[in-house]
Amino acid sequence: MSEKLPLEGVKVADFSWFGVGPITARLLGAFGAQVVRVESESRPDGLRSLAPFPPDKTGYNVSGWFNNYNPGKLSLSLNLNLPKGREIAYRLVRWADIFVNNFTPSVVERWGLTYDDLVKVNPDIIAAYTPMQGLDGPRRDYLGFGAVLGPVAGYNHLSGFPDREPVGLGTNYPDYVVNPGHTLVAILAALRYRRKTGRGQRIELAQIESSVSALGPALMDYTVNGRVQTRAGNRVPNAAPHNAFPCQRVALPLWLELGLDALERPGADRWCAIAVFTDEQWQGLCEAMGNPDWCRDEKFATLLGRKQNEDELERRIGEWTRDKPAHDVMDLLQAHGVPAGAVQTAQDVLDNDEHLKERGYYVYLEHPEAGLTAYDGPGFRLSKTPGRLRSAAPCLGEHTFEVCKDILQMDDGEIADLVAEQVLF
Amino acid sequence: MTDDSALNDIRVLDISGEIGLYCAKLLADLGADVIKVEPPEGHPGRRSGPFYHDEIDPEKSLYFFNLTTSQRSITLSLQNPDGRALFKRLAATADVVVESFPPGHLDSLGLGYEHLCRIRPDIILASITGFGQWGPHSHYQWCDLVGLAMSGVMWLAGEPDDPPNRIYGNQGYISASIQAASGILMALYHRDVTGEGQQVDVSMQEALALAQETAAQTWDMQKVLRRRIGAWRVPMLQVPGIGNYACKDGYVFCYLGTPGGAPWPVMLDWMIEEGEAQDLTEEPYFSLIQELGLPLITQSVADAEAIERLAAPLARIHEVLSDFLGRRTKVEIYDEAQRRRLLIGMVSTPKDLVEDVQLNYRRYFQDVAHLELGETLRYPGAPVHLSETPWRIRRRPPFLGEHNAEVYGEVGIGPDELLTLTGAGVI
Repeated sequence: MSEKLPLEGVKVADFSWFGVGPITARLLGAFGAQVVRVESESRPDGLRSLAPFPPDKTGYNVSGWFNNYNPGKLSLSLNLNLPKGREIAYRLVRWADIFVNNFTPSVVERWGLTYDDLVKVNPDIIAAYTPMQGLDGPRRDYLGFGAVLGPVAGYNHLSGFPDREPVGLGTNYPDYVVNPGHTLVAILAALRYRRKTGRGQRIELAQIESSVSALGPALMDYTVNGRVQTRAGNRVPNAAPHNAFPCQRVALPLWLELGLDALERPGADRWCAIAVFTDEQWQGLCEAMGNPDWCRDEKFATLLGRKQNEDELERRIGEWTRDKPAHDVMDLLQAHGVPAGAVQTAQDVLDNDEHLKERGYYVYLEHPEAGLTAYDGPGFRLSKTPGRLRSAAPCLGEHTFEVCKDILQMDDGEIADLVAEQVLF
Repeated sequence: MTDDSALNDIRVLDISGEIGLYCAKLLADLGADVIKVEPPEGHPGRRSGPFYHDEIDPEKSLYFFNLTTSQRSITLSLQNPDGRALFKRLAATADVVVESFPPGHLDSLGLGYEHLCRIRPDIILASITGFGQWGPHSHYQWCDLVGLAMSGVMWLAGEPDDPPNRIYGNQGYISASIQAASGILMALYHRDVTGEGQQVDVSMQEALALAQETAAQTWDMQKVLRRRIGAWRVPMLQVPGIGNYACKDGYVFCYLGTPGGAPWPVMLDWMIEEGEAQDLTEEPYFSLIQELGLPLITQSVADAEAIERLAAPLARIHEVLSDFLGRRTKVEIYDEAQRRRLLIGMVSTPKDLVEDVQLNYRRYFQDVAHLELGETLRYPGAPVHLSETPWRIRRRPPFLGEHNAEVYGEVGIGPDELLTLTGAGVI
């Protein structure tokens, strides 16, 4: 195994906040890049003030949301609203190979961080911008966090049950894999190109375009067939059953029932996803259920029949799953060759999933204020150069001095002056 | 066309199933020479809808079209010894192989990572599966739904009374594919620098796990489970301006009173200007609106007295807002709300997206000529723009085995041999 990580020696100036930008830079860091995260006391990342927090802890440094997206980075606290702050930003840009940003275009312009601005100080920079709607166009400065992006990009209309309002996905889904993933792919492609040619470039990911790109077939159904698809629940044309089935409810320990936030009380309902695409899998499901009489009904013998009688099929399977623990249903069906998976809760994936545990997907990192907390690992593994989270997220401004001295080559006097002037702040 | 693409020196053999389609597409549209190696009966994606004009035909799947742009197609049976020998000849010319067989299957065919390394020492093998190459669930049966379920993502979506919801459009496959493409490019960069290839292991379950947002960290830190709550509603309180609102032609999604957007009084001003504020300019509504935001709501939900006091006036504000929005179209609301910096988005349908002024201004959609259909089809375009090495749909999706002669010719297989192999069902 190589000692060297792929991106060792690559330098990243991370001027982003919230989700897409920080998650992209986090992965660059996990694979060896040195990442300097730029924030300021006057404009900290909004996620720093959002839950979850460890019990009895508050402040900018302990948010589990922020920390999970920023491990392994150095934090430079820099006030970009002051001219001297912008000068230092340019010094950081000169040092960097990659610049990451996800503000709206007008903010980028106000801070003098457009691509045209950056190439004046670093002609070879790879500069990645990930605004909501793109850098130009009539809606370029529209506001929106992921909560608004999901509906605008079409996910809410298409997901969920047809008799329900478009309630969305329960999280700001495109923010986490689709948009940072596309950004990372583009940055790595640009990095290869730069290694070959010496030339940097501008990367622009409009979050709406990136998100829409993951919904291609629905769009082509409209552009080609004029059909407007809508919510279809958990069913698909080529499988039946294909849904989540109710399993044995779980009695909650009393301490969980008491005194917890009413917003987020742990649920006692449990479910198992079951999908049958082939007749072989159907036979496996019947066997696992003990071949009840109804399974032998002709109308369920073929996929077409199962689709035509899907309501009844689902009801009967639900009657069978209802009194069994979700993970038992999963294991039993898997033993019979049927694609099945417990609808896992966060507790399941974090504490109980033996598979994720053995693979070490979640990583626990010690943070000076937040303590030992869980971080998501990288979403892909390389056999010879496995990425790893090397340290917990930084406290706000934790590395300001270090970055100024070691990276920006400032002397102590200059740093002290800038602190006094609240440029480093 | 000058080839200014980022991956113009990279050849990819894609022998994966549906889970790898988007990975291969990303690499192909970035300029890699992606050869889709299909079994003689065709890639399973060819049987997935929707279909062109609803003509159910493996050469007319819009699903497959969308996900195989810029690629070439050959047929090859890996079950056949001659097929495997042929695959090895191709692999000698390939930088990357993408696969999604159950772990160990390629080894059993003599085509696993170690075997491929003997043919091409610096090869990169990307294996995309439900649960990854090792671990107690690595041999579990999987599909998109199972990935969504096991990752914790599905638990978070939908109304509390319903089964947990699936996200539209095989997002488990898409997420795994995006992670795989990232891993492949990371491995390629490493190979460029060191000459060393490696295996990329992607588990759909892990690829999706980050999309739980804060759920894992909330459990870790507070031992509280985030769960599905439908339209972001607060239990016991109808909070005006949070969630879906029906309008003349569909829905808008409102997220008023949250940090980042304009505060609630800006919404009230809009209603006043239009003469539709009804009694919201009077007490107790006017004062309540001045402080209406997430802080007020989060303080109130734990306080039974506050809930009782607020329930009726909040319901009235909700009612007036519903009336106001219900008289307008979603585009009208979206554009005017955004002009006022109010956090409101329209709930777009596929039609809305195709007609979207921003996407069209930016020429997001790309027309691709299908001469054989006598038509040009409109495709979703670039997910990301690279100024020097553009993402681009370089050619229409391939017919099954369309490039057999061309690709096999490139590894020295002439027409006679091709005929023999075709006759034997190898290709």
